[in-house]
Amino acid sequence: MTAVAERPSAASAVKRPEPPKPPLANYLGLVVIAMAAFAFFWWTREDTSVLFLPLGFITLWAPQWPLIGFLTMLAVLALCWFTRTSPMAAFGALSVVVFSYWAGSNIYFIDRIIDVPSRLTGGNTRDQLIGYFNPDWSYLLFSNVAGTSRPIWGEWLITLCMAVVATIIGCFIGLLLAMLASPVSSFNKATSQTVKAVNSVVRSIPDVGWALLFAAFIGGTAYGLGALAAVLALIMFNIGIVAKLLGESIDAVNPGPLEAADATGANLLQRDRVAVLPAVMPSFVSYSLYVFELNIRASAALGVVGVAGIGGELSRQIGRMSQGYENVGAILWALVLVVLLVDLLSMWIRRKLL
Amino acid sequence: MITFENVDVVYPNGFKGLDNINLNITKGEFVAIIGLSGAGKSTLIRAVNGLVPYTGGTLTVGETVVDPRNKSKLRKLRARVGMIFQQFNNVGRISVLNNVLIGRSAFTSTWRSLIGWYGAEDKEVAFQSLERVGIVDKAYNRASALSGGQQQRVAIARVLAQDPEVILADEPVASLDPPTARKVLGDLRRIQQDLGITCIVNMHHLDLARDYADRIIGMRAGKVVFDGPTGEAIDAVIEDVYQRSLTAEDIATVNVPVSLEDIPAEAEAEAVAAGEPDGNS
Ligand SMILES: Nc1ncnc2c1ncn2[C@@H]1O[C@H](COP(=O)(O)OP(=O)(O)OP(=O)(O)O)[C@@H](O)[C@H]1O
Ligand SMILES: [Mg+2]
Repeated sequence: MTAVAERPSAASAVKRPEPPKPPLANYLGLVVIAMAAFAFFWWTREDTSVLFLPLGFITLWAPQWPLIGFLTMLAVLALCWFTRTSPMAAFGALSVVVFSYWAGSNIYFIDRIIDVPSRLTGGNTRDQLIGYFNPDWSYLLFSNVAGTSRPIWGEWLITLCMAVVATIIGCFIGLLLAMLASPVSSFNKATSQTVKAVNSVVRSIPDVGWALLFAAFIGGTAYGLGALAAVLALIMFNIGIVAKLLGESIDAVNPGPLEAADATGANLLQRDRVAVLPAVMPSFVSYSLYVFELNIRASAALGVVGVAGIGGELSRQIGRMSQGYENVGAILWALVLVVLLVDLLSMWIRRKLL
Repeated sequence: MITFENVDVVYPNGFKGLDNINLNITKGEFVAIIGLSGAGKSTLIRAVNGLVPYTGGTLTVGETVVDPRNKSKLRKLRARVGMIFQQFNNVGRISVLNNVLIGRSAFTSTWRSLIGWYGAEDKEVAFQSLERVGIVDKAYNRASALSGGQQQRVAIARVLAQDPEVILADEPVASLDPPTARKVLGDLRRIQQDLGITCIVNMHHLDLARDYADRIIGMRAGKVVFDGPTGEAIDAVIEDVYQRSLTAEDIATVNVPVSLEDIPAEAEAEAVAAGEPDGNS
């Protein structure tokens, strides 16, 4: 503050402008919107608790949650008004309140979350926590997968191998699709639009969805194909991510070198190879490493649909959790460790390469 | 060698970039194009290799009529017409040699380019080009790790690797400091004379144009308003091109900071106080 005061004041007579006052009418409109939202929440409420507002000569009442929501909306609008926020931004703030109320009430978020402490103290939470914090390392290191002669740690190896194969194939196809998807490197607008559309479809199906599909098409672990189904699922998952992210990197490459390549008479493929690829190589490496991390993580989740690797073992152990939590604990801790290691490794590679 | 016959360029938004240009540039000529910003200098140069499609008239390079719609013909033409840019436009992350080899693209089959396997002759051409511009020792450095003057030499070598008949240069030295600008332009001039290459160069600085060009073309609002040998481009003529009287900045390039505005006022004051008016270069 003192530093500001010490500065010699500019000898300008022009008055500094005040921040403009937002128009009152717009704010009244926002209050009307808030009232409409309140009315909607009132009519659609399912909770019967009601708040009373004694005003001396009359007592008003309103359903508890919609009223709290309404008061929050008014408070937000008041805050916006006093900070002279533009009506558009105030509308945005109001929308956040309205939508979070609407979405939260549809899943009974507040009611359910109030239940959580009692659920944590009752039930077997204590046993579970004790189990998780006393993981059974000898199970992880020395036992076999139930009913087979395969050691548990071998499942980790399978998971790692699935991630490696899926990353390499998925990222390579993703690179090709990214080239086709970006208007900068693609043959024409039509190709680029088509590939983008296909890519959106690929991305709209989550990894577990792909795993279910492939397990259904080609058979899961029961036929010894669990690893393949998981790899194919991960490949589709990786293609979606890499094509999207890298396509955007390609959109943003410096057009200068591309123009220079054009000016030498290079054709499109040559231009993509000599000018586009080197420019996006760092991003590509970075995305590939990121995707590899995701694959390690995802393969644990894919176990739920009965594919191979540590994920399969995890879901089997979860299935027999009634016999103790130490095995699940061991797998989860090991998962944290492996993901950390992969994270460190990819950070190291990124530093070396870029 | 290069003929413009009633050439017009109308941009997609309807703006007329070139208006009825008639020019005849002979083989081996070094032509400087001058004019204020927005006069259409870049448009003129880019029309020659089809980076900007012209919309009326006829543009011929050698025996070939430039046809902006025919992609494969355009590529064949571009193989013979090299282009140098103000921002160098090298691919920063690859080696100098690989940048120069981009100039061989039109003579290399696509699959060879894709796997990055250039033939021995291509490499030989690339090295010779680097020798001509005097940076052969940097062949395996990353292009982005070079100074501005060296980067523009890489760009010239890339163009030379095309073995071009024509070199187009769009403000090739505008990003360089004045002494370097002179050296690079001098190199370009020497190589152009050695190899008999036709050169069209856009320039900001009148005295560079006077020192290096055979012929000066002045442009204003998409039209050619002066065209003559360098000797005829006297101040009065140039003032007509610029539509104002010449200032010292239009002419001088050496020993004057190009843009005094770029130097922060405080730094300038300090330099003056320390008794070295141009000690900030
Ligand atoms: N793609 C475009 N679409 C529409 N108008 C354009 C386009 N490119 C250039 N112009 C216009 O054409 C005119 C000439 O542009 P040009 O780039 O040729 O000027 P210049 O003489 O090279 O200027 P400078 O010295 O600033 O580079 C300008 O008025 C510019 O606004
Ligand atoms: Mg220009």
